[in-house]
Formats: sequence, structure tokens, C-alpha cells
Amino acid sequence: MGIAAIKRVGTQWLLVATLLAVVRPAYAIPAFARKYGLPCSACHEGWPMLNNFGQTFKDNGYQLGNDRDAPIYQQPAYWPVMFRTTPNWHRESNDRVAVDKVPGQASSGLVETTISPSGFDLSGLDIITAGTLYNNISFFVQPFIGASGGTSIAQTWVRLDNLFGSRWLNVKMGKFELDEMISQERILTLSSTGAAYYNYFFTPPGDSNIFRGIGIPQLGVEVSGHSDNDYTRYSVSVLSSNDGQTGLPAGNSYDVYTNFAQAFEIPRLGLQRVGVYGYFGQSATFFQTTGGQPIPGTGMGNRGFYRAGAYGQWYLGKFDFQTFYMHGYDNVFLGNAVPANQQSQLPAGAAGPTWNGGFVEAHYTYNPRLIGIGRYELIRMSREANPSIRGSAGNLDTWTIGYRWYPIMSPRAGLAWVQEYSRIVNAGTAPISGKDDISNSFLMGLDFDF
Amino acid sequence: MRSRISFAMIFVFLLLGQSSLGQESHVGTLVGNAKKGKALYQRYCIFCHGADGDGRGDSAPYLDPKPRDFTKATFKCRSTPSGSLPLDSDLYDTITRGVHASGMPSWKPLTRQERVDLVAYIKGFSPRFQEEKPAAAVVIPAEPPTSPESVKRGAELFQSMNCWLCHGKEGRGNGPSASSLTDSKGNPITPFDLSSGTRFKCGDSDQGLFRDLTTGLDGTPMPSFSDALKPDQIWDVVHYIHTLRASNKSQRSQAQAEPKAE
Amino acid sequence: MQPKYILGVIATALVLWLATYVPAGAAGPADAGAAGSLKGTAKIEGATLKPSRIDMSSDPNCAQAHSTPATTEDVVIGANNGLANVIIYVADGLGDRTFEPPTQPAVIEQKGCQYKPHVLALQTNQKLDVVNSDATTHNIHPLPNNNREWNRTQPHGMPIEESFAREEIVIPVKCNIHPWMRGYIAVFKHPYFAVTDKDGNFDLKDLPPGTYTIKAWQEKFGTLSQKVTVGTGESKTLEFVFKAGS
Repeated sequence: MGIAAIKRVGTQWLLVATLLAVVRPAYAIPAFARKYGLPCSACHEGWPMLNNFGQTFKDNGYQLGNDRDAPIYQQPAYWPVMFRTTPNWHRESNDRVAVDKVPGQASSGLVETTISPSGFDLSGLDIITAGTLYNNISFFVQPFIGASGGTSIAQTWVRLDNLFGSRWLNVKMGKFELDEMISQERILTLSSTGAAYYNYFFTPPGDSNIFRGIGIPQLGVEVSGHSDNDYTRYSVSVLSSNDGQTGLPAGNSYDVYTNFAQAFEIPRLGLQRVGVYGYFGQSATFFQTTGGQPIPGTGMGNRGFYRAGAYGQWYLGKFDFQTFYMHGYDNVFLGNAVPANQQSQLPAGAAGPTWNGGFVEAHYTYNPRLIGIGRYELIRMSREANPSIRGSAGNLDTWTIGYRWYPIMSPRAGLAWVQEYSRIVNAGTAPISGKDDISNSFLMGLDFDF
Repeated sequence: MRSRISFAMIFVFLLLGQSSLGQESHVGTLVGNAKKGKALYQRYCIFCHGADGDGRGDSAPYLDPKPRDFTKATFKCRSTPSGSLPLDSDLYDTITRGVHASGMPSWKPLTRQERVDLVAYIKGFSPRFQEEKPAAAVVIPAEPPTSPESVKRGAELFQSMNCWLCHGKEGRGNGPSASSLTDSKGNPITPFDLSSGTRFKCGDSDQGLFRDLTTGLDGTPMPSFSDALKPDQIWDVVHYIHTLRASNKSQRSQAQAEPKAE
Repeated sequence: MQPKYILGVIATALVLWLATYVPAGAAGPADAGAAGSLKGTAKIEGATLKPSRIDMSSDPNCAQAHSTPATTEDVVIGANNGLANVIIYVADGLGDRTFEPPTQPAVIEQKGCQYKPHVLALQTNQKLDVVNSDATTHNIHPLPNNNREWNRTQPHGMPIEESFAREEIVIPVKCNIHPWMRGYIAVFKHPYFAVTDKDGNFDLKDLPPGTYTIKAWQEKFGTLSQKVTVGTGESKTLEFVFKAGS
């Protein structure tokens, strides 16, 4: 199959490109392992995914609680820095891409064809420094360096832990990933179509909501707490409606995110956890302008949206499952990309789009160094923003299967060999025929972490 | 016919086989299984305590105090007299609570079943668990209320029992003999600084302190005072030790709220 | 499959299993009439450091117990270069015989903040009486490899009784409170051992006839070994010469 030059980028590629841009390679932190002498497997089911011990450590403000935590107990030369990157070989295959019939001749007209680039590649570089500034003050700084060299701040926050001596009161401030038990930042899969929980980034087609999803780190304040074995957890965050972008680009409104989880033991099976979450916010639909250009920070016409649902983490011997459900809603003005002060622009029969989505992810941990992964995820629009939008626009199904083998998992560093295959079907987004658009991704590579 | 032979064979193997993976542990109503404990040990414990349970994991050279050598079956935090094996619940409590001021964290985030499985596996590292039975737990009588007289008696005992020679006159761990102390493996060890706010290694309650004085911390220079002191006298010493500790209200309230094995 | 066959398999299994628990071999020492004895001395050859003074000032009760300061006891030389505190014992040659421990307890005393005797030998499961004759509190802390470790505080006059279940040559003993205190306890399965006196002399009485490997252990100079055959009623003499600097 010949590889043709891409003249026009279809919706499906836009989605993929967006995901690649927003999805950070996930992380595990050998700096912590080095500090305590514990192996990666003590905190991670299989890094980067956390087990309950690691989650408790994180919730305690990166402290083990054995009186040896504060940096004052470490020699001053100790500095917690780690980095992670994944050199890999991958092959992407996307059917129904619109290409010029004759390469190079825009006038020859567009046809749909399958394109399949492949080769050696890099996933970008994660550098993280995190730990304790002092007893019960933790921090996290993560600059993000993209594969092509662009940089940004992925996360930067400070957390005051165990206020008034209580685990139930911790206050975090900065730019941080939302408190999710099933974390996008610690996803076990890496391929371009498999490296994201699509539910965490979904916006219906044609929607103008600045908010891209609960998988994006946000700016704000989080109050959280947990029981001493982390079986009961809560968090409430107040976030600026900037979708995590610095410089106050949007409006002056605030969103609220909350998460509540409860874990319990089932004898012989293991730890089970259920939780509910909700992100309730407002986004601006228009701005003050000067000479027609919007002025950042003056967002007006706020209209509401939410993403809410439930999730579970189930351990059954060597298997563990993660189940997730989301119900999403955007206000009719957001859904139709119409400013709130121009109601007449709304098409007839316009409504706030709603959708349901979820995924099931299964792991088989043969031993802490060999984990098999399988996931199925779907999104179904239940109400489109207006009748002219096809009923299935935005629907998607993805399947991912892979395994990770960790030949090296010492307190010093980690190395994993990864193979993964993932497939996504976007309903009806093929640019010309309007049929389903299918992308496959196969990846294999070395994921290392120091 | 064939099945009967295999039943006999299985019976034979069961009788003859005495592998360490046959160890069981009992804590409350929980029963631990050593085979499950082995998988957990390899995930959580092996880097410090070593594949053979001898305390020589990869991280051990960088740790102080050193991780416990399970092959000797000598444990600091027990409720049994000095020289005796610990009870299963002692090992379970140590795993749950961790050992303060050491590299051993609290493993409370593990489920109770996981912790009792680990106890079963750990017992397999030393043949002593098969050859001996632990002695009966020491009795901890009710604590009498503290009083200036009790503290004064405790201070006198602190002097006459020679506690000060290691722990120092103010309990700072700087007594004349302190610099010479080594643990039973020959590693240098410092006496506990009673004046700091650090929680006691084996649990921070008054009952825990009474128990530590009665059982001694095996494997360290800290002896058992069960022969030397009567229970009332040990409570006097406990009351005196409280006056040595740095005033730290939140530490005390946290200590009193510390639950037993959960 | 006949029940008889199954029973046979089970019975064999039971017997094999039980067999691992039954100690093999005869019991008891030979009767005194036929026994021989082994006498001799342990000596030291070559120059050694003089014993140094022990500073007991950290505990005035200890310092006051000595009119002249006590000296270290790792090398104690008596008349004719005789070496005290050497354990002479039968290492091999007794076969699988088992021996009952004597009813008389062995005694180790803390006197003048030192262990008396400095080196003690006793049998497995023989009672050990620990005595504190000092006006100060000691802790008695043996550091075994093959026996269970214990550590008990002992104020003046309080008796402590212990025993060791397994053979071990040799268990160091210390008092953590008084760091200069050092003693040694050797535990044997049999009664054929002796500790040399201040002039290095020993006498192993009532030895059954046979060929033996006899060893001599000294805390600083290590272990020497000799083979000897003792006939019925025979009395033999042995000499062990430790080389200083070895």
C-alpha cells in the first residue's frame, strides 16, 4: 500500500492529533523508590498505575508516615528528580482519509484512502520533581516537553498535608490533575489511539466549550482527605474556568469538581473500590472585543455544563478491573457554538447535547513484572446539539490490548518492554463518504523511567 | 482404581512434605496462607528483606537500621517474653503499624487478609516457627494514674536500673555507654532518644511502652525488665519517661488514638 | 485397588515420617570402670600484648569494686606460658550417643562488673544460673547463632535461670550497660569438655575408649585440633600450643 501525501486533515486525524498533544506520557517516580528503598511494585500495580499502598502514599503528601519522611532527614544532596520517555516503533493505520486523487494536484479531487505511516519514534519526555518541601508540605513540578520539542507546564502545585494533624484536611493549590482514582496520567497504554481515556477528553462535534475534559490538569484549589488506609476518600476542587491554561485567557467564572470513593475488602478476593465524581462548571460563550478581536479574560455569557458519573476498581485475585461511567452535558449555547447574547442564532430544535460513555479495563498481573491489559471504551451521544447533526456524530468505540513486561524494576530505575494494539471506530466521520472511520495503532517499545 | 492410588500418593506426600509454604498464620478470625504471602512478599518486601528473608535485600546496605533478618526469628516488637518467638498477632501488628523511625512503613493500605498472608509466609523463613511455640503473652495490668510520687519512683528506678548509662540522664540517648552499643548483628545502634517527640518503635501507647519494658526489644541492647521490676514499678518508669518527652500534645493525642491491629 | 495396598502405603508413609523424629544411636556414657582420661595443658608461644586496664568510671559501683583497676581478659597467661580460659573438648568420635544433662546447674557470676568465669562450658538443656553479686544492675545478653537470643535485666541479688537447647561453640555474652564486659558460653551435646585453669591445665575425665578429635578454642587465637586414641582405662596427655600472632 503506497503512502500518499496528506493534503487535508480529516476530523479523525484532528482528534488523534489533539489527543497526542494533550495526552501526557504517564509517570512513576523512582525518586521516591530511591528515597525509601522500596521497589516500584510496592506502590504500583505495574508502574505507572498505582495500587492502594501507593495511592495512600500519594494522598499522605508523598510521606510514608514512619518518621523518616521530611527532607530534613535526608542528606541535602538528595534531590527528587525523575524522567520518563518511551522510544518506540509504531504503525498507524487510518482508513478513509481524504487525499488528492493525483498526489500533488489539488484539482484532481479528493478520494478516501487508507494511509499507514510507521517507523521509530519518541513519545516526548517527562521530567518530574516531586516530594516534600518540609514535613507535611508536598509539591510537584512537571514541565512537559513534547516529542517535537515544544514545552509547557503540565503540573505545578504545592499541598499542605495533614492540616491540624488530620488526614482529613489537605489543601492543594496550583495546576494539578483532577483527583481521579483511574488516572489519565497513570494510564498503562501508550499507543496513539490507546493512550487516552476518550471519555476524559470528549467534546461533542461542533461544541465551543473551552473545557476539554477531566483528563486535563486544571488550575485551582483542592481540599481533600482520606482515612488512614485510604479506604475512604473525598476531594472538592474549585477551579478557574480556563481549562488549565495560564494567563487568564477565558472568563472569571469557577468550576467545581468533586470525587468521593469508598473501598472495602471482600475476603479471598481483595480490595474493591467504588466512587462517584462530578465536574460542574461554566464556560464563556463570548468575549468583550476590541476591533472585533476577543479580549482574553473577559469571558461572558457563561453557560453551564457537567461531566459526572461513577467508577469502580475491582480486584479478583490476579485480575483487576476498572469500570467507568460518565454522563456529560453541555448547555445548548455551548453545544451549538452560539454566543449567549445571540439567541436567535440557535438553529431550530437546538438543545444541550448529552452523552453517555464508559470503559472497562482489565489487567492480568501474572506477577508484578508482567501485566496484560485489555480495554474497551465507548461513547454514545444521547442527544445532539441540533437536529441537523446526525444522531451518531461523535460516537466512538475503541479496543486496546497489550502487555507490559518489566525486566528491571529496582528502587533505582525501571524499564518496561511494551507491546500494544489499539483500534478506534469513529462513527460516521469519514470526510467524504460519511461512513465510520477506523484507525489502528500498533506500538512496541521500551518505556524507561529513572 | 487409579484414583485410589493417587489419593494414597497425595496422602503420602502430605505427610512427608514439610515445605515452608505449608505455614499458616492466625490473627483473630483471619487465616493466612503462605503461598499467597509469597507473591505479596515479592511485590512489597523483597527489596529490603531479601529473597531469603535474611534482611539482605538490594536496598539493605543503604538503610539504617537494617531490615529484619527473619531467619533468626528474633523480633523487636513482641508481646512475648525475651527469647520467645512472637505471636502471629505481633508480626501482624508490626506489619500494620510499621516500625517508627525506621525504613519499615505502615502497610495498613494492604487488606487485612494480605497482611495475615504475609505473616504466614514470613514464618517460613526460620525453622524455629516449626520447632517451637511462642510463650504466653505478657500480662499488661491496668495503668494506675500518674502522680508526682510515681514519677519520683520512676526517676529513682531509671537511675538504679542503669537506664541512664545508655539513655543518658535526660533520656537523650547520650549516656556513657551509648557510643559502644551494637545490635546483635554487630551494627552500631543508638539508644532511643526519649526526649524527642519521635514515636516509640513498637507503638506509642502507654500499654505499648509497658510491654516493651517487660519483653525487651530482642536483637538490640534493650533488655527485658520482667525479672527486675514489678508491674507497679514498670508503670512508675512509664510515668517518668513521659516527663522526659518533648511536650507535643498532638503526638500524644495521636498516640492514644492509635488503634490496635485493624 | 485393594484396601490392603492402600493401608500398606499409608503405613509405610507413617513409618518414614515418624523415623525422622526418632533419634538414632545408643544413649549414655560408658561405665566409669572402663573409661580413660585426657590431661594436659594449653600454652602460648611468642610475645603477646600485656592485658590493658579497663576504664570502669562510667559506673562508680563498678570502679569501686576494684582496688586496682581490672584488666582485659582476652589473653590470660599463667605459669610456664599456660593459657587460661581455653575450652578443650571432644569434637568428633562419640558417634551418635546422646547424653542427659547434669542436674547440677552451671553458674555464671557478674562480679566486679566482669563475668566469672570468663569462659563457661555447659551441656545442652543444662540449667544455667546467672548471679549478680554487684551493687549495680546488669543486663545479661548472650548473642547466639544457633540458639534463641534473649536479653534480661538483672539487679543485684535477683536470680535468673536459663538454658540452651542446641550445641553451639561459642556464644559471646555481653552486658550492654557495661560495654567492657565480655564472656563466652560454650554449649555441648556431651559432657566431655573442660576449661583450662589459670595455668592452662585441663583434665577430661571418664572418657570412653575410642579415637577422638580433640579441639582447643581460645577467644583470640582460634581453634587447634588434635587426634588421639584413648584405650580402656588409659590416661593420655595432650598439649596445645597456640602461636601468638596467629
